[in-house]
Amino acid sequence: MSLQILKRWAMWVFAIGLTLVVFATGSSTPRKYPQRKLVRFWHRWQGDWEKQVQKIVDAFNESQSEYEVVAVSVPGGGADAKFILGVIGGDPPDLMSMGSTPVANMAANGFLTPLDSLMTPDEKTRFFRDSYPGIRNIGVFHGRCYGITIGADLMALYVNVKQLREAGLDPDHFPKTLEELEDWGIKLNQYDKQGNLTRLGFLLSDIGYVSHYFGGGFNVLPDGRLELNTPQNLRALKAIVDYRRKIGFDNVVRFQAGLNDIEGAASWAFMHGDLSITYDGQWRVEELRKFAPDLEYRVYPIPPPAEGGTPLGGLVGGNYMIVPVSGKQKAGAWEFLKFWTGLDNPDRAATFYNMGGWLPYSPAVANSPTFQRWLAHDKQFQAFLDILASPNCKAPPAIANLQFLNDLITRAEDDAEHGSVTPEQALANLDAKYREEARKRRELGYDE
Amino acid sequence: MPALSHDARRNLVGYLFISPWLVGFLVFVAGPFVRSIYLSFTRYNIVTAPKWVGLANYRMLLTQDDLFWKSAWVTVKYAAISVPLAIVIGVALALLLNSNVRGIAAFRTVFYLPSIVPVVATSAIFIWILNPTIGLVNQVLGVFHIHGPAWLKSSPWAFYGLVFMALWGVGGSMVIYLAGLKDIPNYLYEAATIDGANPLRKLRHVTLPMMTPVIFFNLVMGIIGAFQTFTQAYVITPDGGPESCTYFYSLYLYNRAWKYLDMGYASAMAWVLFLVIVVLTAAVFRTQSRWVHYGG
Repeated sequence: MSLQILKRWAMWVFAIGLTLVVFATGSSTPRKYPQRKLVRFWHRWQGDWEKQVQKIVDAFNESQSEYEVVAVSVPGGGADAKFILGVIGGDPPDLMSMGSTPVANMAANGFLTPLDSLMTPDEKTRFFRDSYPGIRNIGVFHGRCYGITIGADLMALYVNVKQLREAGLDPDHFPKTLEELEDWGIKLNQYDKQGNLTRLGFLLSDIGYVSHYFGGGFNVLPDGRLELNTPQNLRALKAIVDYRRKIGFDNVVRFQAGLNDIEGAASWAFMHGDLSITYDGQWRVEELRKFAPDLEYRVYPIPPPAEGGTPLGGLVGGNYMIVPVSGKQKAGAWEFLKFWTGLDNPDRAATFYNMGGWLPYSPAVANSPTFQRWLAHDKQFQAFLDILASPNCKAPPAIANLQFLNDLITRAEDDAEHGSVTPEQALANLDAKYREEARKRRELGYDE
Repeated sequence: MPALSHDARRNLVGYLFISPWLVGFLVFVAGPFVRSIYLSFTRYNIVTAPKWVGLANYRMLLTQDDLFWKSAWVTVKYAAISVPLAIVIGVALALLLNSNVRGIAAFRTVFYLPSIVPVVATSAIFIWILNPTIGLVNQVLGVFHIHGPAWLKSSPWAFYGLVFMALWGVGGSMVIYLAGLKDIPNYLYEAATIDGANPLRKLRHVTLPMMTPVIFFNLVMGIIGAFQTFTQAYVITPDGGPESCTYFYSLYLYNRAWKYLDMGYASAMAWVLFLVIVVLTAAVFRTQSRWVHYGG
C-alpha cells in the first residue's frame, strides 16, 4: 500500500473518529443518577463558591432518590440574557439563581413561575410568616412570590484593628456617628511623597445603600408616588461628594484602580492592609476565616449621621432562586429550593448558608443550633444579622423597571462625584428621568 | 410531469448547492431583519405576543429620551474622531511598510497582529494598559514626568481610551492600503520622476489619488463599524463609563433589549441606527465622484 493511500485512510479514520466523539458520546449533561428526573440548575458562582454550591447539590442528590440536580455555572453579566434566550428557545434551566434586581421585571414580563404556586398551604404560611421582611419582599411582585433567596447580601464596616491602634484609635470604642467615622478615615489615610494615597482610611460611597442611614432610600411607592429627590437622599449624596472632595476625587480613583481585589479568592484589598475601614458584604467574613485567619478585624454596622440618621439601615440584595415559566421539572426544582433554603428543615440548611457566608432567609435558620455554633466561631457575622433584623433594613422597591432606576441612581452618584452637576441637580435629573420613563411606560401600556 | 430544460436543471443544481447558505440567510438574517421592522412598532418582551403601539417607540425615542441623544452623540463623536484617525494612521503605516527594507515581512506581521486579536481579549488588555496606577501608558508617561490621566475612570479620558484602542487595531485596514499601494502602476512614478516631482509631490499627486478607492472603501466600512461599536464599551465600561462618556448607542440598545426587556423600543433604536448608517453611507457615496479616482 502506498504512503498516499495510507495517509488517506488515516485521515478518514480520524474524521470518523472525531465525528463519533463529538456526536455520539452521550448527553452533554454529566449524570451520576441517570435513572432519576433531571433538574437543571444554573447559577453565577465561580471559584471557591462554585465548589460550595456543588457540595450543596451533592448533599441534595444524596438525600433523596427521585431527582438529580445538575449545576452549571453561567458566569458574567450575560447570564440573564442567556436565561432569556433559554426561555424563548423552550430550553431553560429548571431553576436559576439570579441577581435580585431583574426578578420583578422578569416576573412582570411573564418569565417566571410564581413560587407560591409550588408551595403547599403550610409551606406558604411558613414562608410568608417566617422570612425576614427585607429579604422576602425582593422576590415578591404584585403579592406573589417569584424569587426566594439562598444568599442575600448586606453591607457593614470591616475594621482593621491593628491599623486603628497604630493610628491611636480605639477599635473597641467605634464611632457612633458617621461624622466621627469620617474623621477616623482621614486620620487613617496614608500618602506617599508625591501625595498619592497608599492606604485608604474610609470611603463613603454607594448612594443607594448609604441613603438608608440618612433616613432616606430610593423608593417608588405602590400608589406610584416617588421618593427619589428627597432631603434625606440629598444629604446622603452631599455627604458622599463632600467626603470624596476632602480626600481628592482623582486620588481615590487612582488608588482604587491599583487595588488587588478579587471576590471569592484570597485577594481583597482589606486583607492586604490597603483599606483600614471599608464596607463590604457579609460573605467576606467567611473569606477572611479561610484566607486571612490571623487578621484581627471587627465588623460594625455603619453609624448613622448625627442628625436625622437611622441606625442599622440597609438595602438587601443578593442571589435569588427563580423557576422559569417553561421549566420542565418544577417540582424537582422546588424540592431542591426547599432543601437549600431550609423551608422544611432550618437546621440542616444552616450548614449551606455558612458554607458561603450567606445570610439566612429567616430567623428560624439564624437561630438554629447549627447556625449558632458557626456564629460562635465567626462572631463578626452577628453585625449583619443585627442589620437584617432591623426595621430599617429595606428591600428595593418591587417595580418592573428597577434595573432602570438603579442605573439612574448609579449615574446620578457618578455625575455628582465627578462634579459635572451638583448633588441637587443630580437628584433632580434622576427624578425627572424616572418620571419620564414611567410616563413612557404608561403610554406603551405597561401596568406601571 | 414535464421534464426540466437543461438550463433549469443547471440552475436547480446551483440553488441546491447554495441552499444551506440560502436557508441560513433567510431564517437567521432576512427573517429577523423584516420582523424587527414590525417589532419596532410594538411593545414586545419576547415571551408574550407583541402589542401594536404604532409610532410610539419612534416618537418617544426622538422626543422624550435624553439617553438616546446622549448615546447617539457619543457614537457620532467616536466615529468623527476614530474613523479619520484610523485612515491617516493606516495609510501612514502602509506607506512605511511599503518600503523594501530587511525584515519588512516581520514588521507587517507585527502591525497586523492586533487586528486579529478578538475584541474581548483586546479590551481586557486595554483595561490593564490604561490602568492609571499600574498601566503601561501611564508608566511610560511617568518616564517623561507626565502625570497620566485616570483613563477609564475619568471623563473624557475613558472615551479617548476607546479611540486609542480602535487605533491599535488599525492593522486590518493597513493591509488593504498596502495592497492598494502595490496596485499603483510603476510607470506613474516614472512619469512623475521625469517631470521632476519630489517624493512629497509624488505622494500628493500620485500615491494618494491612486489610493482613494481603497480609502473610500475603508471610510465606508469604518463609519459602519464605528456606529456599531459595542463589545469594547460593554467589556470595559458596561455601565456607560464615567459621566456616561462611553455610553455608545449600541450599548444603550443592548440595555434596552436585554436589561429592561423592551425589545420593541430596542428594535426601533436599531432601525434608527440602520437608517442613519444608510444615509451617511449614501452621503459618502455621493461625494466619491469629487475625490475618488478609479483606474490608472
